[in-house]
Amino acid sequence: MKRCLVLVGFALALPGPASAAASGEKASSGHVRAELVAETTALVAGQRNWVGLRLAHQPHWHTYWINPGDSGLPTKLTWRLPATVTAGEIAWPAPRRFEVGGLFNFGYGGDVVLLIPLDVAGAAKPGARVELVADARWLVCREECVPGKATVKLKLPVAARASPDPRTRKLFAAAHAAQPVASSWSGQAHLAGDRIEVTLSGENLPPAESLDVFVVQRQVVAYARSQIVAGDGGVNLTFAKSEYLTGAPVALDLIVIDGRPPEAHARSVTVPFAASAAAADPPSANP
Amino acid sequence: MKPHSLLAAVLFSALLSASALAAVAVGDAAPDFSVSDSNGKAQGLSEYRGKTVVLEWNNPGCPFVQKHYRSGNIPRQQAAATKDGVVWLTINSGAAGKQGHLDAGAAKAFVAKYQAAPSAYLLDADGKVGKLYGARTTPHLFVIDAQGVLRYMGGIDSIASTDEADLLKAKQYVPQALAELKSGRPVSVPTSEPYGCSVKYGS
Repeated sequence: MKRCLVLVGFALALPGPASAAASGEKASSGHVRAELVAETTALVAGQRNWVGLRLAHQPHWHTYWINPGDSGLPTKLTWRLPATVTAGEIAWPAPRRFEVGGLFNFGYGGDVVLLIPLDVAGAAKPGARVELVADARWLVCREECVPGKATVKLKLPVAARASPDPRTRKLFAAAHAAQPVASSWSGQAHLAGDRIEVTLSGENLPPAESLDVFVVQRQVVAYARSQIVAGDGGVNLTFAKSEYLTGAPVALDLIVIDGRPPEAHARSVTVPFAASAAAADPPSANP
Repeated sequence: MKPHSLLAAVLFSALLSASALAAVAVGDAAPDFSVSDSNGKAQGLSEYRGKTVVLEWNNPGCPFVQKHYRSGNIPRQQAAATKDGVVWLTINSGAAGKQGHLDAGAAKAFVAKYQAAPSAYLLDADGKVGKLYGARTTPHLFVIDAQGVLRYMGGIDSIASTDEADLLKAKQYVPQALAELKSGRPVSVPTSEPYGCSVKYGS
């Protein structure tokens, strides 16, 4: 009974868009509330439209990034869409780091929107209404974890033009701002004994001390925060190697976060993984 | 190696060793331990030299563990393995006061409830064995051969989820490793990234 009251209080406390086209049915599955939201008042054929899975977490609870870290599961969406509509993959916002008992996880707390691009075929007729349906599954954890799922729905008209929906404007502004921006930096990664070393260089690299770096791929680096120091013309990152690394990946996708929320800026960079140096770190070869 | 990078490496190693979890590696000797089971009997790895040993990290409150117990997946694997002479040690490293921590009586009740068939249920509330092996999730599995060498570490199976329906499609890594060891073949999947809840270590 106590839990019911807490949940009701939580639902009421959340500011949300009014129930209308902008927002679908809300689904609460304990500790997090899910709904489908749209950036615009209509879907436009032949151009990219953005919708979002809004996850409103109770305080201290979090869901997971595409790489959840030492434990956890990424949130998954399975779409049921009319033939004229195609959904892309989740455009993952920059994650936050959570530490519990010496283990590290990556994900989201608070009120977050996972953006999804929707493409609408030119054959979709203006004036038609389409129903977007997705089965969402997530794992929500504080220290303990609860799996959750919900079917989220949203009906939107197809129109020749659409304008931003004022009810979701702030949500989408925050969601787009949380997207990592592709950087022009370059770099490389290699295995050195029980460490993975990454060098980054390029214009406008932020100072090493303000950075945190996340690796998209699993089974490559251990998930504790990397050591980050200024290097020759750039930044050097040192990660412990994952105990579960079995083969060097072709490349590493990195999310580089500068500063702390809400002032944080996230950039993405892909660096080749030098497989030839995988057995390297031979001090004897370079006396 | 330049002096400054050597210094950095030393500092970083110091940083790493300060982290809670140790690391074990497939192909290395599995570290020995001594911990009480739910019958109050001391259990250690060295007493099982000559037998294949499975270590399974457990937290009955974890939805991933519940998936594999409610479905009977882990109890079936335990029964098949122990029938074949394998020693299966289920280990609970949940600290007192944390989710899933069990005392001896609750551990016995858990085993009875799911008709589980481990050789013993080990009570590692101070997390010593868990940290020795770098156990980070529940479940998290390790297979040690008769010579005491670690031959598998990682997930229970190939599909990370809490959904029982996925068991039909998932590759079960422990029975596969046990069958390969029994027939003298190399273990074809010696590591996989473990998935599940985090082990609820104390501070």
